[in-house]
Amino acid sequence: MPAGRALVVILVSLLVWAVLYAPELKRSAEAAPVGTRRTISLAILEPLVWVTDHTGLTAAANAASRAAGRDPNAEVGGVNVGVDPLPSATPGDQNDHHQPVVKDTDIREPTPDKQLRVAIVGDSLAQGVGFAADAVFKPFWVEVFKQGRISTGLARPDYFNWMAQMHTIVDRADPDLILVMIGENDNQGLLYPDGTLEQDIGTFDWAEHYQARVERFAKIATSDGGHVVWIGLPNVSDKSRWDFIQKQDAIFQSVADELPNVSYFDSWNTFAAADGGYSAFYRDGTKVSEIRAPDGVHFNTDGYTLLTEKAAQLATKDFDLDPKTYAP
Amino acid sequence: MLFPTVDFALFFCLVFLGHWVLNHNARAWKAFMIAASYIFYGWWNPHYIFLLAGVTAVAQLSAIAISRQEDQRRRVWVMAIGITATIAPLVFFKYYGFFAVNVTNAATTLHATVAPPLIQVALPVGVSFYTFMAISYVVDVYRREFPVASWVDTTLYLSFFPHLVAGPIVRPGELIPQLDIQRDPRHLDIVGAGWLILGGLFKKVVIANYLAAAIVDPVFGEPARHGSLEIAVAIVAYAVQIYCDFSGYTDIAIGVAKMLGFQFPQNFDRPYSARSIQDFWRRWHMTLSRWLRDYLYIPLGGNRKGTVRTYENLMITMLLGGLWHGAAWHFVVWGGLHGVYLVLGHWKAALRARGVLATPPDTWWVHTLQWASTFALVCVGWVFFRADSVGTALSMLGRLVTFQSGPTSLVTVPVLLAIAIGMAVQFIPRAPGAAIRSAVSKLHPVPMGIAAGFALFAITTLGPRGVAPFIYFQF
Repeated sequence: MPAGRALVVILVSLLVWAVLYAPELKRSAEAAPVGTRRTISLAILEPLVWVTDHTGLTAAANAASRAAGRDPNAEVGGVNVGVDPLPSATPGDQNDHHQPVVKDTDIREPTPDKQLRVAIVGDSLAQGVGFAADAVFKPFWVEVFKQGRISTGLARPDYFNWMAQMHTIVDRADPDLILVMIGENDNQGLLYPDGTLEQDIGTFDWAEHYQARVERFAKIATSDGGHVVWIGLPNVSDKSRWDFIQKQDAIFQSVADELPNVSYFDSWNTFAAADGGYSAFYRDGTKVSEIRAPDGVHFNTDGYTLLTEKAAQLATKDFDLDPKTYAP
Repeated sequence: MLFPTVDFALFFCLVFLGHWVLNHNARAWKAFMIAASYIFYGWWNPHYIFLLAGVTAVAQLSAIAISRQEDQRRRVWVMAIGITATIAPLVFFKYYGFFAVNVTNAATTLHATVAPPLIQVALPVGVSFYTFMAISYVVDVYRREFPVASWVDTTLYLSFFPHLVAGPIVRPGELIPQLDIQRDPRHLDIVGAGWLILGGLFKKVVIANYLAAAIVDPVFGEPARHGSLEIAVAIVAYAVQIYCDFSGYTDIAIGVAKMLGFQFPQNFDRPYSARSIQDFWRRWHMTLSRWLRDYLYIPLGGNRKGTVRTYENLMITMLLGGLWHGAAWHFVVWGGLHGVYLVLGHWKAALRARGVLATPPDTWWVHTLQWASTFALVCVGWVFFRADSVGTALSMLGRLVTFQSGPTSLVTVPVLLAIAIGMAVQFIPRAPGAAIRSAVSKLHPVPMGIAAGFALFAITTLGPRGVAPFIYFQF
C-alpha cells in the first residue's frame, strides 16, 4: 500500500478510536491537574464527545465497557488495584465509641476472636505502606485493609473523593488504627467534587483551605473511635518541591496536634540525610540499606517496611498499641 | 514516551509524515530521524539524551580506533578499552548502589574506613539495550564483520526510536545498511505492521496488565497470605504476563519499524511451545540469546574446548545473563537455574549420542511430557525472576509444594481465560492470521482504518485503566 494511503488508515483509525473512546478520554483529561494541557485536551475532546453522544455511540461504548466488566461511570481515580475489599456490612462495633472524643484514648487489646482492624489509606505511598503492613502486622492479631489508591489526594475529590471513601471505610471496616499517607499529588488547585474550583494553587488561602480538608478527613477517620497515625510526606530528591511538601507536613502536624487520637509521624526528618537533605539510604546502627525507589519519591520494599514499623511503634507510644501485633 | 499512549500516537503520526516526505533526501531524513529519536528518548528525562550521545560517541571512537590498528594485539587492546568504556555507564547505573551499600556494610563490620559515596542512581530507560548494541558494533568492527559506519549512521543505529528502550537488540549489519536504502513508499506493508501493533497492544494492555493487577502482584507481593492453588495460578499467570508484556512490546516495535519501511529481527517465536530449555532459549528474547551466544559464549570458547569448559561457559553466560537484568541475587539464581538446565540438557544429549541413554519415541505423549516439563522448569525460573528476593521465591515454592490451604478468590474465570489466551497464542496455527491479513489488505483505506479504530477501542476498553510500564523497561 502506498505511504499516503497508509497515513489515511492511521488517521482514520485514530479518529474512530478517539470518537468511540472520547467520553473516557474526557474523564481522564478532567482528572488531570488544572493547567494548559488539561484545558487544551478538554477543548479538543468536547466536540468529539458531542459527536459520540449525538450518534448514540456513547451508549454503545458504555455497553461495551460494561460487557468488559468496567463501570463507565466509575470515578476515574477509583482504580481498585491493590485495594482490599471492605466488609459488606458494618461489623459489630467492638469499641462503641460514638461519643465525640476529646483526648487521646488507647487502642483496644486484640484477641484472636476480635482482631484489631488496621486500615491504610492514601495515595501510592499508602499503597506501599499497605503491602508492607501485610507483612509487618501479624495476621493472628490484626486484619489489614489496604485502601491506598494511586494518584489520589485531598485536592481533587472530582477524581477520587477521599472524604466519602473515608466515611465508607469507617462504616464498613470500623478500623481501630488508620495509617494515613496522602498529599503527594496535592500540589494543585483544590476542586470541589463537581469539578469546580475552590481555591487555586499558589494563592495565599490555599494552605488554609487545604488544612480544613485535612482536618475534616482526620475527623471522619476518628469519628467512630479509630486512631490515626498521619504519616507526613518524606523528603524527595527534587529540591524544588521541598518548600511545598514542608508546608503540607506542617499542616498535617498542626492538625494532629489539635485533634485527639491523631498522631503525626515525621517521615521527613526520620529519613533525611545527616545534612537534612534527601537520602535514599538509611543507617540503622551499623547497617546501611537503600530504602527509597529510584524515582526519588517512593520507597522500596525495605523502606516501606521500615516506615510501617516506625508508624506502628508510634501507635504503641501514643495509643498503647500492643507491640505483639507487629513486633518480630 | 510509552507506546500505548496518546502522546506516542501523535508523535508517530508526525514522524510518519516527516519520514516519508524526506525519504528521498538521505541527509535530511537521517537528521530528522535522529532528532525524532532523541525527542522520543528525552521525553522520559531530557538528561538521558546526554548518556545516549555519550555511549554513541565512545562506541564510534572505539570503532574508528580499532579500524586504524593493523597489529592484532593492538586491535585486541583497543577493543577491550572500547568495550570497557562503552559498558562503564551501564555498570555504574545498574550496579553502583548495590556495590556501595555492600562495601559500606562490609567496611563497617571490619571497622574499616572505606565508605563509597551513597548515591542512588536511577537506571536510565533502555541503557542496557543500546549499550549491548554499541558493544556489538565495536566487536563487529574488530572482527572485520562490519566496517566503521559514519557518525550519523552510528548515531541513528543506536538511537532509532522503535528499538531504543527495550529492543529488539539489532545488530549493525541488520540496521545500518537499511539506513542507506531508499525505502519504497509505494509498497508499505501496513496490514502486517498493523497486525503486529494491534496484536502487541492486545497482549500488553488486555492480557499482561490484567493478569498483573488481578493475581500476579497480590500473590508475589505477599505469598504467605496465599494458598498453593493461588500461588500455582499466579506463577503460570506471571509466565503469561511477562511473555505478553515483552513480546507485546517487541511486536509493537517491529510493527512501528515496518510502517517506516524497516525490518527488525524476530524476538519471540512461541517460547512456551518449546519442548526443551535449549529450544526455549531459541524462542525467548531471541536477540538477547544470540547476543549472549555470539559476544560472550563463543568468545569464552563455546563448545570448542571440551565438555567441562562447555558447561562452564554455559553457566558463566547464563549467570551474566541473569545479572544483566539487575544487581540482585534473585536474578543471578534465575540465570544460574537456566545455566543448570542447559548443562543438564547438553549432558543428556551427550549420553544419548553415546547410546547410554535411549532416545525417547517420537510420539505425541512424549512430546506432551517434554513440553510440560520444560514449561514447569521455566515457571520455576520465573518465580525467582519475579520475586523481590530469593527468600520470597523459596517461600512461594515452599508453599506451593506443601499444598497450603488458603483463599482462592483470585483464581477467577477472567484470570483463567486470560491465561488460556496467553497460552493458546503459542500453539494456534499461523495460517488463519495470514488469511485474515490477506482479506484485510483488500479493503479500501477508510474501512480498513475504521476496522483498526474499532479494534483499538476494543483493546482499550477490555484493558484496565491507566498505562502500566513495560516490565523490560527496568532492565
